[in-house]
Order: sequence, then C-alpha cells, then structure tokens
Amino acid sequence: MLSFGLYFLCAVLLVLSRIGHGALTDARDELVDLSAPLLELASVPAVEARRAIDRVRLHIRVHQNGVEEIDRLTKENDELKQWRWRTQLLERKVAHLRKLLHAAEDPALVYASGRVIADARGPFVRSALVNLGRQDGLRIGYAVINGDGLVGRTVEAGDKVARVLLLNDLNSRIPVLVGPRGARAMALGDNSAELQLGFVEEGAEIEPGDEVYTSGSDGVLPRGLGVGVVAGEPGAYTVRPFAELNSLDVVSVLFFDAPALKRTDPAVIADKGGALSAAPQPDPEEDRTAAAPAVPLPPVTVPATSTVVALSPPVASIAAPVVGQAQAER
Amino acid sequence: MTRFLPAFSVLIAVIATAVPWGLPADATFILPLLVVMMVFCWRALPDTELHPAAAAVLGLLADLLSGGPLGFWALMCLIAATVGLKPGSFRERRDLWLQWLAWTALICTLGLFGWLLASLYYLRWIDWWPIVFGVAASIVFFPLVLYGLLWVETGRIGHTRHRIFRSAS
Repeated sequence: MLSFGLYFLCAVLLVLSRIGHGALTDARDELVDLSAPLLELASVPAVEARRAIDRVRLHIRVHQNGVEEIDRLTKENDELKQWRWRTQLLERKVAHLRKLLHAAEDPALVYASGRVIADARGPFVRSALVNLGRQDGLRIGYAVINGDGLVGRTVEAGDKVARVLLLNDLNSRIPVLVGPRGARAMALGDNSAELQLGFVEEGAEIEPGDEVYTSGSDGVLPRGLGVGVVAGEPGAYTVRPFAELNSLDVVSVLFFDAPALKRTDPAVIADKGGALSAAPQPDPEEDRTAAAPAVPLPPVTVPATSTVVALSPPVASIAAPVVGQAQAER
Repeated sequence: MTRFLPAFSVLIAVIATAVPWGLPADATFILPLLVVMMVFCWRALPDTELHPAAAAVLGLLADLLSGGPLGFWALMCLIAATVGLKPGSFRERRDLWLQWLAWTALICTLGLFGWLLASLYYLRWIDWWPIVFGVAASIVFFPLVLYGLLWVETGRIGHTRHRIFRSAS
C-alpha cells in the first residue's frame, strides 16, 4: 500500500513538474537555496581536483614538448598583443564615430562573477547552479558567460543560488547571427555537445568556421555575445560552442534588463533608474561586481568613452566584463 | 552497523552526483545510475535496511539538484528498491553472478523505461546514447559498488566475500 502511494506520488510530481506548477517551482527554489552551502562545500574538492589535473596535464605537455610549447605560447602571446592593440584602436575609432553621429550612448553592462557549485547536468538536462542569487541582483533570463563565450542564461533564481540553463540543453533556443554577413538563425540545444543551427534565413551564405553570436532579437540576451563557430556540412550545420560546457568553473552573469525580462520576472529589487538597473548597489564590504571577472582579461586601460559597448562580434564576448570592471572602478 | 548507514551513504552519492566533476556530456547518466545501483545493493544485501520511502526521498533530492523532472529519479530509486526487496531468495540462494544478472536485467529495463518516460515528458525523442553508455557503465561497475558497500557495512571485504558466496558453497 505504501509502495503504491509512493509510485502515485512520483507520478503526480512528474505531472506537476511537466505543467510547471508554481508552488512546486517555488518549493524547489527554496530547497535548492537551502542546499547551496552544502553544495558549495562539496564542490570544493571536485573543483580543486579538476584544477590539479589540469595543472598536471599542462606540466606533462610542457615537459614533453619543451621548447615547442614555449615557442607556441610566445607566438600566441604576440598575436594577442596585436589583437589588444587592434581592439583599442577600434574602440577609439568607434567612440569617435559615435560622437560624430551623435549616437546615443549604450548603457554599461554590469556583471557579477560567481562559481559553479553544482553540475546539474542530468541525462535530460544541461544546467548548472551558480552561487549568485537574487540577493546579488539576479533575475531570470540574464545571460551567463565565461572566458570563452556565452554559457547560457538563468532560468531559476533563489536568494543565494541560480540555475543556469546551458546552451546545449534541450530547451535552449538562442537567436543568433552567423558569419560576417550576420545571417539570422537559431541555435538549438539538443543535449549533445554541439548545438543545431535551425531556422536559417533563406539565401543565407554560411560556411563552416563562421562565428556565431547572439542577435539580441529575443529581447532577452544582449546582442553580440560570442556563441560558437559553425561546424558540420551544408544542410546539417551545427554550432560548436566557444565555452567548454562540460567543465565550467567561474562564470559571469550580465545584468542586462531588457523590457521582456521585466515582464517575465518582475523586479525583485527596486529599479534604480536606467535600463540596466537590476545590479545591486556597490557594497564596499562585499562587492561581487568589483571582483575579477570570469573573463581573463589583459590589463587594458579602458578609455573614458568606452562605456559605449560596441558589440561587434569579435570583441563582444570580452567587452562586457571590461565595461563592468570599468564601471565598478568608477 | 548503524541503521542509517545505507541512507546516509546514498545521500553522499546524491550530493556527489551534483558536484561539478567536469564529466563529458555522454557520461552524465552514470552518476545518477550509481545512486540507483546503491539503492538496489543496499536493499539486496543481508542485514541492511533502506526503506522504499527513504529511497524515493533520496531520488527526489537527486531530481531537485539535477534540475530535471521532479519524480523521475525518485521513481527509478523506488523501482530499484522494490526489485531489490526480493532479498529472501536473493540473500540465501544467489551468488554474485546472479546478483549481477539481476542488476543487468533491471538496469536495461530501467534504461528503456527512463528513456520512454523522459521522451514522453519532453514530447520528443531523447538522445539514447548517454543512456546506453550509462547503463553499460553501471553494469561494468556493479561488482565494484557491491563490494564497496559491503566494505562500508563490515569494514572487510574478505568476510563479506565469504558471505556472498556462502549459499553457493
């Protein structure tokens, strides 16, 4: 009799979960919130072990390749220096042109950085729990990035933790622009390592290797966040994400309050004016936005005019944290 | 042996499934199946106790942490607890190979059932490869988990080995 009751309860829970019953979702958020400290504690050994393994791999590679590895790193460093120089040049150029055109200044993107404390990647779900919540100013729908590119977006937010739906989850649908011509398409998650590229506009010229970035046409995600590169063959194109979704560690949440977000997740924190106002007031004691961003950035001297984020595809994925940092410094 | 050891050990496993190990996407089915396997083993082992309600609650916790459909892993754990409850004959007459065989039959059925249930839940065919991979891995690791739990229970493998085979000898 008890077993029958338990089976029945499981079936009821599955049905309620399927229809997304509000009470169940709230209870779930509360329970996940409660378990956050435990998960945070439990994740420490795993994260440290992963880092140790990475360090050992690096040492082995350096030991095996020796001089070649140093040459490769030196070459890469030189290329990055060139890129930095070009980026700074472009930033100045864009700022100058915007000034000439009297273009309205984009609001600065504020971010908060946190750590992945639970790898909630079940067989049917690709999500992660981060140790940032509504207390930190998070809302449902915010974009989450790491040093490589877009990781996903927040779908549940408790007081202290938030669940991030990863790009490759079955329910993930990201409107994107593809290639230098910005062909419109949709990056569809299917629980595999790569995303499907669907709903490509007619006549679009897409080549493998083209960069894919957010279009922002959903009114939720900012435009220009790097998603991945096109792979596969014509007719069955896929997108290989820039971010390594299997081993996420530190991520940044972008506080981009699009109007659509305000409708779907009404402000929990009172608006403080401006489109991007969900960020908490900087607290000198505990200011996460002032912490180092998830994106490992070179020490770029950000000019004063750089509050305008020129979200052109190649630099968009690194531009936001720079601005966030600049704002935090101000 | 303390009465709460089985539930406690499964709880540790449930938390371990949520920890960011950095496993590849294909291996995501293995860790939750480890929880189901532990439920099965604890129910099957002699002189141990893991109530089906406790198994369901632990499965529910796995659901909560994974962000997946609520009740899915609770149902899987409940089925494993029910099948593992046939310990009368299991504990007295069967040896390791038969236990292994029972687990193989159960997990293959559970894998298929889980795949169908998840496909029904999401109203689309779920990728079957991670499930097959997880099922195969769980079959391979079954003796390891069984002996591990026996060691947790008694602190010795030699003695437990003798106990497993006592009825066969």
